[in-house]
Amino acid sequence: MTWHIDAPVWEAYAEGRLEPAAELSVESHLVGCPECRSAARSQVPARTADAVWSDVRLTISAPSPSLPQRAMQRLGVAPDDAVVISAADAFLVPWAVAVGFAVVSACVVGLAGLGPASRDAAFLALAPLVPVLAVVTSYDALDPLRELMAPTPYSKLRLALLRAAAALAVAVPATMMIGLVVPHMDDLALAWLAPALGLTLAALVLLTWLEAWVTAVLVASAWVTVVALLRVGDRVDALTTPLGQVAFVVAAGGLVLALVLRTSTLRLQGGEL
Amino acid sequence: MSAIASFDSVSKKYGRAPALRATSLNLHRGVVGLLGPNGAGKTTMLRLLSTALPPSSGRIVVCGFDVTESHADRVEARRRIGYCPQEVTFPRGMTAFAFLDYLAVLKEWTDKGRRHAEVERVLDLVHLGDRGAMKIAKLSGGQRRRLAIAQALVGSPDLLILDEPTTGLDPEQRASLRGLLSGLAGTVLISTHQTEDVSALCDRVLVIDAGAIRFDGTVTELLATAAGRVHLGPAATSGAVQTWKTGTGLVRSVGGQPAPDSSVVDPSVEDAYLLLRSERHTPQGVNP
Repeated sequence: MTWHIDAPVWEAYAEGRLEPAAELSVESHLVGCPECRSAARSQVPARTADAVWSDVRLTISAPSPSLPQRAMQRLGVAPDDAVVISAADAFLVPWAVAVGFAVVSACVVGLAGLGPASRDAAFLALAPLVPVLAVVTSYDALDPLRELMAPTPYSKLRLALLRAAAALAVAVPATMMIGLVVPHMDDLALAWLAPALGLTLAALVLLTWLEAWVTAVLVASAWVTVVALLRVGDRVDALTTPLGQVAFVVAAGGLVLALVLRTSTLRLQGGEL
Repeated sequence: MSAIASFDSVSKKYGRAPALRATSLNLHRGVVGLLGPNGAGKTTMLRLLSTALPPSSGRIVVCGFDVTESHADRVEARRRIGYCPQEVTFPRGMTAFAFLDYLAVLKEWTDKGRRHAEVERVLDLVHLGDRGAMKIAKLSGGQRRRLAIAQALVGSPDLLILDEPTTGLDPEQRASLRGLLSGLAGTVLISTHQTEDVSALCDRVLVIDAGAIRFDGTVTELLATAAGRVHLGPAATSGAVQTWKTGTGLVRSVGGQPAPDSSVVDPSVEDAYLLLRSERHTPQGVNP
């Protein structure tokens, strides 16, 4: 190097008084001049250099929000909640299960060549189970980290409900799409929602006692049995009548109460949800 | 000096099988080592103290909060506890930084800037400062172990509970971890099979066997239980608990009747532990 940065230039650079072109010239010179790099150290206070370096490290290390995180934040979900909901790629599993099950349900219902009554029964048997599976798998997805999460102050109920809500946000629209897309399902497109609400809450209550997979099998087999029995008696319509729908909503209310009571009891006993 | 944590007649059963018999003890500031064979109840004891597991009976108090009394007290205690389990299943595909960021959110670090700075701090403490952006799947076994320890350090807890923290670490990393733990201000309880960690690091030793504490005292007191009972000679002593041929060709015997041509040597923590294991002490369990 034939020249070096002198004191007045350093001072102007540090104070941000240089023109952009001169600033660029200083920075380009620093890249190739060890003496000026060394001199630069004495121009910048150690505290400032540490702070800048810390920012650089954070920019490199800190994860940029993932696509689901950004989507959740746009929808008004708090950034912390978005981190909790989308933590771990494990969360992709419930989404994949929910959407996958919905697609399989569509194939069964729409393409199996069933008669109208059997088609309706098949749809009502399968569609409410989509959110149940999504919630159960999202709950199960927490398991690998359960040992680490247990001794943290974060509410386990809140954690489970946050993830359940996120799973439902995908599962419910996906299932509604099927009801709307598959021919002749128009009248059932919304009728599955009330049973789905009741079954999902029943699953959440059972999860306080049972393993996730046992819960899924119990709820699914019980529900499919009920619909099959109604189909045999040619009374599947009972599920979609206003009285039937109200009965599911009332049952859902009871299950909410049961969930609150159960979690309160667990907390008193020293357990967790 | 008031205790940071205490057990008052705490027991734990899995079904009908007792994992921890009624145990009372106080933990003060300093590093406490928990020694014991596999299945002795070490992990149960640590999980009880971490609040990950409720006791079958008894009372556990951490930092003045009775974790067996109410959920609110348990949450308060959890704000002061750092826990690293024996085995951690890491989420696939997550970076080291994102993993710690997630655990920090669960530990109520809600301010993003402060949380990220804390994550950087604990990464530096375990010498993973340059691995934050790396996927956990690409970290070595020792690095993952240090990452698991780092999550326990988030928030500088008053009570740090580490279940076999040195497993999978090389000697240099173990020495570095010792340096880190010895410099912490609060109470550290570590379970380990590495008796040299205990002698190098711990102010106090608990030896647990079959769900009951068999010894509670300082390293010096533990060594004193084996004084004059370890011998080196050309042949094994009669009735020794353990014998092995050393690199010098002489046989080291722990316990037993010494042969006339053998000489007494200073016992190690391991010798004392082996002797304790071979005897049926009356459980002490209570440390005032």
